[in-house]
Amino acid sequence: MISASVEAWVDEPMTRFVRDAGVRLALLLLPSGQVLAQFGFTRAMDVMSACALAAAIHASSAELGRMLDGKPFSGLHAGRVRQLFLAEAQTARGPYIFLTVFDEGSSLGLVRLYCEELKANLAAAAPPPAAIQEPVLDSNFEGELNKNLAVLFGRA
Amino acid sequence: MSTQFTAVLDALTRLRGVRASMVVDAVDGIAIDSNLQFGQDGNRVAALAGSLYRKACQSAQAAGLGGTGFMQLEADAGRLCILGGDTLVLVVVAERDANVGLIRMEMRRAAQSLA
Repeated sequence: MISASVEAWVDEPMTRFVRDAGVRLALLLLPSGQVLAQFGFTRAMDVMSACALAAAIHASSAELGRMLDGKPFSGLHAGRVRQLFLAEAQTARGPYIFLTVFDEGSSLGLVRLYCEELKANLAAAAPPPAAIQEPVLDSNFEGELNKNLAVLFGRA
Repeated sequence: MSTQFTAVLDALTRLRGVRASMVVDAVDGIAIDSNLQFGQDGNRVAALAGSLYRKACQSAQAAGLGGTGFMQLEADAGRLCILGGDTLVLVVVAERDANVGLIRMEMRRAAQSLA
């Protein structure tokens, strides 16, 4: 199993979540789709695809929640044998998307339980936001994405 | 709000030394109904007890011991009694000096009434 993160402060919360919840795969990313940490993936292409899909699911389900309930949905669960759980974590640095995949080695109850702990741990561990945050533009998105993937898969 | 499990959980919680009882989804580890005391985190107990029961079942199978019915965890300050089925798991949190024989009998009776 490969476990890596782009920013050191997410290491401990993510490692603890993976250990306690017994999940197969885990990803932490920005709402723009840029990856910050991954566990269990062996190919950069898979991480890139999962991040793009997770960001899209998060954006569309949040909008659906606003339309139906007046506020974005806080989590998404799908699957029976191999299950997927998607949630949003709020920190001082802004929102993050958390995606995990688990099977019979864990359960939805465990994942929900430890996801709440992960959210609290991320919020506590997040350093203050950078003074100036650059907007995510087409021109720098791909460069940032490739840089993060290179860090995660040891090619930096 | 009462459910089909309310009477069963009430009967279990009335036993001497029982602090909490709950019905948990055997696969998802999510509390379906519970009878808790103030301050207890039912979702946490349900998720962990459900996981514990599943692992115990897997351990018994791996050791060639067949299926698992009743299991009991002894902790410093009390006991966790779990009786599982295919879809539901009954969980009782009891004090250390509670009558486990009686709890076990009532849990079996409860499981039969829910079947």
